[in-house]
Amino acid sequence: MATQFIGEHLRPGQLGHFLIIASFVASLFSTFTYFMAARTELKDPEGSRSWLRMARGSFMIHTAAIISIFVTLFYVITHHLFEYHYAWEHSSILLPGKYLLACFWEGQEGSFMLWIFWHCILGLVVMGTAKGLETRVMTFVSLVQVCLGTMIMGIYFGQDIQVGSNPFILLRHSMQAAPIFQMANYMDFIRDGNGLNVSLQNYWMVIHPPILFLGFASSLIPFAYCLAALWKGDYKDFVKPTIAWALLNGAVLGTGIMMGGAWAYESLNFGGYWAWDPVENASLVPWLTLIAGLHTLLVYRSTRRALKLTFFLLILTHLLVWYSTFLTRTGILGKTSVHAFTGDGTALTYHLLGVIALLAIISVGLFQWRRKGIPGIKTEEATLSREFWMFIGSVVLFLSAVQIAISTSIPIWAPLAKWITGKEFAPPVDPMHHYNNIQVWIAIVTGILSATILYMKFKQTESGTLGKRLGITALIAIAMAGFIAWGQHIVIWQYDTMLFAACYGIVANIYYGIVIQKLKFKKLGPSVAHFGFATVLLGILLSSYNKHTISFNNTGVEFDLKKTVAENTKENRENETLFFGVPVAMGDYFATYIGDSDVAGKDKRVYYKVLFERKDLLSQKASERFMLYPDAFINPKGQQGLSSNPSTKHYWNKDVFTYINVAMDNTKEDTSSYRSTIVNKPGDTVFLNNAYMIFKGLSKEVSDKRYTPEPGDLPIRATLEVHDLKGDVTELNPLYILRNKEYVVRLEDTLPSVGVYVRFANLTVHSQDSVSADIMTKQTDPKEKYIVLKALVFPYINVLWIGVMIMVLGFFISLGDQLTRKSKKGDTLIS
Amino acid sequence: MKKMHIVLLILVVASIAAIVSVFGSFSTYETFTSAGREPGKKYYVIGNLQKDKDMVYDPVKDPNHFIFYAKDKAGNVNKVIFNGEKPRDIEKSEQIVMMGYEDGGTFHCSRIQMKCPSKYKKDMVAQGSSS
Repeated sequence: MATQFIGEHLRPGQLGHFLIIASFVASLFSTFTYFMAARTELKDPEGSRSWLRMARGSFMIHTAAIISIFVTLFYVITHHLFEYHYAWEHSSILLPGKYLLACFWEGQEGSFMLWIFWHCILGLVVMGTAKGLETRVMTFVSLVQVCLGTMIMGIYFGQDIQVGSNPFILLRHSMQAAPIFQMANYMDFIRDGNGLNVSLQNYWMVIHPPILFLGFASSLIPFAYCLAALWKGDYKDFVKPTIAWALLNGAVLGTGIMMGGAWAYESLNFGGYWAWDPVENASLVPWLTLIAGLHTLLVYRSTRRALKLTFFLLILTHLLVWYSTFLTRTGILGKTSVHAFTGDGTALTYHLLGVIALLAIISVGLFQWRRKGIPGIKTEEATLSREFWMFIGSVVLFLSAVQIAISTSIPIWAPLAKWITGKEFAPPVDPMHHYNNIQVWIAIVTGILSATILYMKFKQTESGTLGKRLGITALIAIAMAGFIAWGQHIVIWQYDTMLFAACYGIVANIYYGIVIQKLKFKKLGPSVAHFGFATVLLGILLSSYNKHTISFNNTGVEFDLKKTVAENTKENRENETLFFGVPVAMGDYFATYIGDSDVAGKDKRVYYKVLFERKDLLSQKASERFMLYPDAFINPKGQQGLSSNPSTKHYWNKDVFTYINVAMDNTKEDTSSYRSTIVNKPGDTVFLNNAYMIFKGLSKEVSDKRYTPEPGDLPIRATLEVHDLKGDVTELNPLYILRNKEYVVRLEDTLPSVGVYVRFANLTVHSQDSVSADIMTKQTDPKEKYIVLKALVFPYINVLWIGVMIMVLGFFISLGDQLTRKSKKGDTLIS
Repeated sequence: MKKMHIVLLILVVASIAAIVSVFGSFSTYETFTSAGREPGKKYYVIGNLQKDKDMVYDPVKDPNHFIFYAKDKAGNVNKVIFNGEKPRDIEKSEQIVMMGYEDGGTFHCSRIQMKCPSKYKKDMVAQGSSS
C-alpha cells in the first residue's frame, strides 16, 4: 500500500505539472497553426486568417501558461514548500526576500523558464509588429518554444532515460533511495532548504540573469526573421525589423556580458572582470557574430550585397546561443572552467545536441532550397566604399569568434585530437596570453575600421576629402596614443598599436559626430556606439596592461636566484598575511588589519576592517587614509574555510581591489590568559603589547549602560587611558561591583583596535587616598589573529565601464532612429 | 579574381596562421611521471587528494605555501606545493586539476581546480532526520 504522507502541499505541484503540459501543447499547436496559416496565405486567404486566429490564441495561452508556471514556482519558493526538490535545493527560510528571485534562476529548470518567458514576451511583440511576416516568424518562434518546453517536461522513457527536468518534482521522488522517505511524516524532519550558494547572494544574481537571458532570447527574433525571409522568398520586408531586433539584441546581450564582467569584478574574487573563461567566451561568441551580421545587413540594405553572409551570421548567432547553453549546462566544461557546473548528465547533452541539430537542419535546408534565388550583385564594389570595408570588418569579427570558439571548445575536440596525436589536450597554461595574442589584432583592425568606415560613403567615396580627414584624425590619434603610452609605460608594440587604434576610434568618432553629423541626435547612433567601442578597447588596455598585485609576498621563502625576478613573480605569490594591528607595505600603501565585525544571520558573515594609509616617506605622516571592508562567510553551510567577497576603493583613475583568502575562525575558544599589574596611584602605567594604559583613578560614581544598580551594591569604576601606537587615546572603564558584601560582579571593558580586555580586582585600601588595584589585562596574541589578503590595482577601469555604457547608448539611439525612420534615398530596398 | 576575394583569402590565411601559431600554447594533461620528463615545463595533472597524508598550510609563516599529496591517474602519489592559499573544501574534492611543473619529485602548482561532489548530497537529508 502506498504511504500516505503527512504535511505535504501537493496542489501547487499538480497545478505546475498541468501548466507545463498545457504550455507545451499550446506551443506545439501554435507551431502547427502558424505553419498552416503561412502555407495557405496565398491559396486560401480566408482559411489562412482562421488558422492565424487559432495560432495567435494558442500562443497567448502558451504565454499565460508560462507566466502561471512562473507564479506557481515562485509561490513554492516563497512559501518554503521544501517537499519540492527545487525549493529545497535552492532556497532556505532565512534567505532575504530579494534573493528568493535569485533562487528561481539558480537552477537549471528556472533558468530555462526565464529563457522561455522572454521568448513569450518577445513573441507577443513580434505578433503585434511583424505584419506580413508574422505567420512565418512566429512558426519558428513557436517551434523553439516547443524545443525549450521539452527541457522542463521531465518525462521518463523507461527507467533511465529522462527528457527534461521538471521544476515541480517532489523531494521524495528525486531521492527515492533515501530511507527518510519511508516515513509518512518525513516533512517533520525537513525544516529548511539548502539555500542559495553564498557566493551568489548578492544583487548581481538578482539582475544579471534576467538581462543575460533577455540577450540570449532576443537572438531568436533575427534568426526567425531570416528563416521567414528565406521561406517566403521575400528579401525586402524582413530588413527593417531585423535591423531593429539585432540592435536590441546587441545592446541587451552586450549589457548582459559586461554585467557578468562587472559582477565578477565587484563581488567575486576571480581577480578581474574578464578571464577568457569558457562561460564568458560562450556568451561573447554569439555577440560577435551578431554584430558582424548586423553590419552585413546594413550593407545589404544600402547596396543589396552580402545577403548570404547576413543569413549565415544571424542564423549562426542563435545556434551559438544554443551551443553555449550546451557548453555551460552539460558539465562538459567541468575540467576547464572556474564556474561550478551542475553536470546534468548525458540525457541533457543529447537533448541539447538534438535541438541544435534540428534547428541547424531546418536552417541549412531552407538556405539550400532558396540558394539560387537569394539576390546578390555580380559587379565588384569600389575599394573606397563603405560596404567593402564593412564586409571585411564583419569577416574579421567572425574570425575572432571562430578563434574564441575553437579554443573554448577544447573538451569537444580533445577526444579527436587524442585519437590523431595520442596526446590529451588541455587548455592553455596561460589563457590570457593565448587569447590576447590573437585578439589584440582583432581589436586593432576592428578599432580602426569602426572609425574609418563612417567617413566613407556607400558605393563610392571621394578620395581627396577622405584622405585629408583621416590623415588629420590619425595625426591627433598618434599624438594621443604616444602621450598615453609614455605616461602608462606601455612598451609592447602590439599593445601600442592597439592603443593607437583605440585613440583613432575615439578621435575619429568625436570628429565625425560633431563636424559631419553636426550632432543631430537621431543620426548619432553609429558614431556613439563606435566611440563607445573604442573607449572599451582603451579601457581594457589601460586596466589590464598595468593591472598589478600589490599584496606581493615573499616571507618565509627563499628567493630562487637562478630565476629572474619576473619568473619568481610568476609563481603566484600574491597573498599577504596581515597580523592584527601590524601595518604591511602594499604598493604605495600600508595596510593594517584593525578589526572585524560580525553580522547577525544564519550564515556567519564577517566584515574585516582593513585600514589603508598612504604615507609620506620623509614625514611618515599619512597623506591619505581609507578603510576597506572585504567580507567573508566563515564555514558556510558546514563547509570548511570561507567564501569571500571583495571590497574596492574607487578612485577616478584606478581601483584598489582587495579580498580575503584565509581568515581566522573567531568562534574558536579563546585560550589566552589574564596578566595582572598592580597600580597604586593615578598616573601608574600598564604596558600592553602594542599600547600602554595610564591609570587615572577609581570612582564610586557609576553610570553605565551595562550596569543596572541593585540595592546593597557598591559599584566602583576604574578609569584607564589607552594610548595606542598611532597616538590615539581611548578611555576604558571596567567596573567592580561588590554585591551585598558577599560576592563580586566584574564588568570588563575592551578596546578592539588594540585587542585588549581589561578588568580589575583585589582592591586594597591602604589609607584614605591610597587604594591599590590589580588591573588584569588580556590581549589576543597578534600572531594568532590574522587575515590573508590579496590586493590588486586596476588603473583606469572606469574608462571601460563608461565605454560600455556609451556603446549601449549608441545601440539604443540607432534603435530609436530605426523605429522612426521613413524610407531614405540611400536604401535600394524601399520601393 | 576580385579584390574582395584577395582580401578574404589574406584574412583566412592570416587567421589560420594565427590559430596554428597559438596552437602550441595549448597544454596537455600529463601524469606526475610524464610531467617529470620535462622538469620546469608547465602541464596539467589530474589527480585526487591523498587524505591519509598530511596537508600543511600555515599562513602565519607563509600565506602562499600549501603542501599536500595527490595521486595521479597512473596511481603515483606525489608531493604538491601550491603557491597560494589552501583552497576551500579541498578535503571534499573528488578530483583536482593541478597546473604546474614537476621538479625534483615535487609538483609545483600555480593553479588548482577542484571538482566537488554535488553540493546537495543525500546524506544531508539523513543528517536532518536524526536531529
